[in-house]
Amino acid sequence: MSTISRRSPASYLLAAPAALWMTGAVVVPTLLIAWVSLWGGRAFSPDSPLTIANYARFFGNQTYLKLILDTVQQSLLLMAISGVLGYAIAYFLVVMVKRPMVRLAIFFALVIPFWTSAIIRSIAWIPFLGVNGVINRTLMFLGLTSAPIDAFLYSRTGITMAQVSLYTLLMTGPVVYTLSNIPVQLREAATCLKAPPLAVFRRITLPLTLPGIVIGQVLIFLNVMSDFATVAAIGGNKLALLGNLVLNFYEAGNIRYASVVAVLLMVCMLAGVAIALKVVDVRRLGE
Amino acid sequence: MPDIDLELRRITKRYGSFLAVDNLSLDIARGTFTCLLGPSGCGKTTTLRCIAGLEQIDSGDILIGGRSIADAPPWQRDIAMMFQDFALFPHMTVARQVGFGLEMLKQPRAEVARRVAAMLKTFEIDHLAGRKPATLSGGQRQRAALARALITEPRILLLDEPIGSLDFSLREMVMFELKAVQRRLGISFVWVTHDQTEAFSLGDLVVVMNRARIEQVGSPADILERPRSAFVAGFIQGNNVFRGTVTAAQDGMVRIATGVGEFLVPVLNGSTPPTGGAVSFSVRAERITDQPGAEHANRLSVRCGAVEFFGAVRRYFMHQADSQILKVDQFGAQAARLREGDQATIGWRAADGVLHHGDGGSP
Amino acid sequence: MRWTTRAALMKWTLGSVAVGFLIYQWLPMVTLGVLSFSGPDGGTTFPMNGVSLYWYAELWEPSLSADFKAPLLRSFLLALACSATTAVMAVAAAQAVRGEFRGNGVFFYLILLGIMAPGLLVGFGVAIVARLLGIALSWSTTTFLVHVTWTLPFGFLTMLAVFNRFDRRLEEAALTLGATRVIAFRRITLPIILPGVIGAALFGFSLSYDEFARSLFTTGADLTLPLTVLGQFDRQLTPSLYAVGTLTTLFSLTVILLFGGVMWLTRGRARRPA
Repeated sequence: MSTISRRSPASYLLAAPAALWMTGAVVVPTLLIAWVSLWGGRAFSPDSPLTIANYARFFGNQTYLKLILDTVQQSLLLMAISGVLGYAIAYFLVVMVKRPMVRLAIFFALVIPFWTSAIIRSIAWIPFLGVNGVINRTLMFLGLTSAPIDAFLYSRTGITMAQVSLYTLLMTGPVVYTLSNIPVQLREAATCLKAPPLAVFRRITLPLTLPGIVIGQVLIFLNVMSDFATVAAIGGNKLALLGNLVLNFYEAGNIRYASVVAVLLMVCMLAGVAIALKVVDVRRLGE
Repeated sequence: MPDIDLELRRITKRYGSFLAVDNLSLDIARGTFTCLLGPSGCGKTTTLRCIAGLEQIDSGDILIGGRSIADAPPWQRDIAMMFQDFALFPHMTVARQVGFGLEMLKQPRAEVARRVAAMLKTFEIDHLAGRKPATLSGGQRQRAALARALITEPRILLLDEPIGSLDFSLREMVMFELKAVQRRLGISFVWVTHDQTEAFSLGDLVVVMNRARIEQVGSPADILERPRSAFVAGFIQGNNVFRGTVTAAQDGMVRIATGVGEFLVPVLNGSTPPTGGAVSFSVRAERITDQPGAEHANRLSVRCGAVEFFGAVRRYFMHQADSQILKVDQFGAQAARLREGDQATIGWRAADGVLHHGDGGSP
Repeated sequence: MRWTTRAALMKWTLGSVAVGFLIYQWLPMVTLGVLSFSGPDGGTTFPMNGVSLYWYAELWEPSLSADFKAPLLRSFLLALACSATTAVMAVAAAQAVRGEFRGNGVFFYLILLGIMAPGLLVGFGVAIVARLLGIALSWSTTTFLVHVTWTLPFGFLTMLAVFNRFDRRLEEAALTLGATRVIAFRRITLPIILPGVIGAALFGFSLSYDEFARSLFTTGADLTLPLTVLGQFDRQLTPSLYAVGTLTTLFSLTVILLFGGVMWLTRGRARRPA
């Protein structure tokens, strides 16, 4: 017994606003993008004839194709760097830090920046990356380089550096969660069954954190795929990924092309999620 | 010393300023069923974990089969361990689980399969080979865990409250199964428990621990009949513990003045405590009678309190004026059928008192 | 090497990685804060050329940079509206899920879609819908609509967690005492989950306040604060942008600390029957 009874009319009524809101503002609009991407003609009109010409023209352009590849590549790079880094941090936090207060402090220090503006955090990298930036000055001060390196600002390196600081948390979070659900005794039992530390990690810890790893990787993938702000802030106008392309086409008034890119972005993302779900069968996670 | 499986030599373990194991020494002969018994926080589990290598001792030495292993990592010690919740790997089938130890020892695949199959058969869980732990019952899990632990044929099996998580109805059966396995294999078991019934029905050797130290080591009969200290006597069910001072000594007996009267207690091993010294002694509840005769030299008049029934035994809780409670066990036929509030005189033979000599000055 | 030494070495290595990453993550933000106090001749990186509040004063009397005051007010009002909407709808949605209505599994994923779907696409989609329907884009209508799709899932998850810890017997007690469901909810359930509701509201506030990917396509002419920052950044980067960044970061930190404090308070409260 509770303040709401099972399958009561009230439960449907209470669910309705949220359901309608999400359908109206998320599901329908994204479906409409797909529709608009098939519009022929030039006018913004629902009566436009449907065609795949927009796609044909898009795929006919080498530059755009390379952009898709670049975006996917950048996502994979971040998945690798932030994946390893995020996992290592989570492992340290859960398995190696014994004092709860220290663990909590580190966890907060990790999580709090997530709650501040991503734009500001991207901009905050500018003083570091420029020719006269902090990194170059430090390198020169340490004598590691004689002349400033012009490889950070307006470059993939700089973008990657900023993205690592933005997105590593997305890996750490889910892994911390799955890792802290593994009883310590499982690792100890394996140790007593003649397994050295590396074998304990490979045979026990890693398989049991797989769900967290996959969730973390999916989150990083989705965020980097659709990231345009970091790319714009640090890459200037010299570099663009798919997200920036949507924006650029939209601002140029080419809503059909913007839709085409948006659809491709969605397809890539759905494919990524589908592959992830293949790796870890969600229904078997409970076992 | 080929016949000693395990030797603990003055081992000490600290957590910060907390002393978990204090200068503890113990020898365990080959094939012994040893029970570490004590209240929670007494250091018994820490001792077990030190033997396994899951905790590092701060000083002392641990020898298995005469070889020092204090510096060896857990995976190179000739032990296996069973955990309270069995710690079965949730992502592995029973067969995989049981073969894990052999895989870690790099045994050939065929050999692993053969020995796993044999092990599963021994424990009658061969029909569960393909199942994952989540689908097993408590008893099945316990067998899988045991098979997993024993497959590497360790010299010593360490068990941390291994039946604590089982249903009450299952416990007795599992207990005797484990005992039978231990007898058949002839390996040493070190079993940690806070339950004295377990310790007394299973152990060849019972080690009573308190506050990071060993209070008494002995056979179950030793500990039941001759508790060394007031702590052991108080911890073991059915003892009445008295504290007092020695007023006189004669003929292998001492007279002890307590808050409820003076009693005669035999001196056990010759070392008579000095007159005026503080001592404690205990008398088992079943040795006290509510119909004392001439032979019952120690007497006491009491008021009957609550009465409890344990099968054929009825236990009276007797009160004295200063509300000290005495437990008195009587068998059905001979009981005087006292009721709550009745006045009675109880007594026991002088020879039934057990003088404690292991208190070491502590209260 | 002894195995304990190896284990300790491993711990130190991973510890260095973790602490190193923390520094890596915080250093730019701290630097931003330091540089915002540059002298009037200071540039966008070191040296600071003196220490002053010049760039903060610049925010009040905009000459070089855009005026941040009106966008700040808009972002604040928008965040407030999102926070209230999120709190109410999240409680309703979580309470509905407790009712285990048919299709509540799909409902759960429908709401989570708001987190999974990239903001850029949702914003773009809503802009198309608005154009098809002939609705003018505005921070108070279309942007609000999209922001809630982002804040609601977080509030919803918060409320699910709160209800998970909620002691059902308290409601049952009220109901057996003759209270109607509505009264029991208002008098018993709501006061107990209130800290969680406040938490969901703060969650909504802070997420909406910093959101820009969803605002980009949906805001029209009157920009929100993050969009103004982006715009100014596109035109010219000055330390006054650092000053805005520092202030808004401090503001976000305050909100999140408030959130943390409130959630801390709920920990015992939901469980302990008084």
